[in-house]
Amino acid sequence: MNDPAPNPFTNSGKLSCLEMLQLVLDGQATSEQIAYFKKHMEVCMPCYKSYSVDMMIKDMLQRKCCGSGIAPETLDSIRQKISASIKPL
Amino acid sequence: MEELPIIPDGPRQNYSDAEKGEIFNQEFLPHIRSMYNFAHRLTLDEDDAKDLVQDTYLKAYRFIESFQKGTNAKAWLFRILKNSFINDYRKKIKEPSKVDYQEVESYYNSDEVDRQITPDLRVDALKDMIGDEISNALNALDVDFRTVIILCDLEGFKYEEMAKILDIPIGTVRSRLHRARNLLKEKLSEYAKEMGYKNTAS
Repeated sequence: MNDPAPNPFTNSGKLSCLEMLQLVLDGQATSEQIAYFKKHMEVCMPCYKSYSVDMMIKDMLQRKCCGSGIAPETLDSIRQKISASIKPL
Repeated sequence: MEELPIIPDGPRQNYSDAEKGEIFNQEFLPHIRSMYNFAHRLTLDEDDAKDLVQDTYLKAYRFIESFQKGTNAKAWLFRILKNSFINDYRKKIKEPSKVDYQEVESYYNSDEVDRQITPDLRVDALKDMIGDEISNALNALDVDFRTVIILCDLEGFKYEEMAKILDIPIGTVRSRLHRARNLLKEKLSEYAKEMGYKNTAS
């Protein structure tokens, strides 16, 4: 990281590329940090590649692993058992 | 193994029966799909998952006065489910934690992390994984690593919320997540190789 602009991720000591990437990927970086990282990616091929792959995996996880295929009957049967066990519901 | 507390210590609310029903129906039950998905990915068994979700909701109702209206109900429920799983199921399926956290921490805190030693995996290989590869890769991870990916990538919890759900410091959340993602990529790289993608060193 030879970027002359002040690094908004930290005041003292530097955060590694991977730590920056993680914050941006997980939507927990500030807008300044995002802008800094996007600029950094223009000059850092490993970061650019990692970011693309990580974003893609995150997207796949959200599309395919969030339970959209769960049968409504499965959830209904759980709901029924719960309400049968709790009187005021 | 020591039993984990189901509900964290804290102030008790005083709800009427009507209020309890309202909280339960409007704040707890809408998360049932995410809860079942979490339970299924922890237990890897449909019947166990059903039992775990049901048991979690019954506990949530029993301890409802520990829940403060307006706070994050989903995180509160996930914590109960996770602790119930550890207390009741982990023993049953005899899956000891294989994770050496000490090693994980020191790995993350060392200079090594700046080196890109993540498995070589390309976007075009991922694009061809249109089946259950990603789901199988996730389920193949050790349960502690699986859990952080579920909480972060599937459910969108913030690191701070994950730290509360898992009762670990934020630094540990982040290092475990980092390691979990590398392991997931290793799995996906294996699939890519099987699909005929060459592991070109870049």
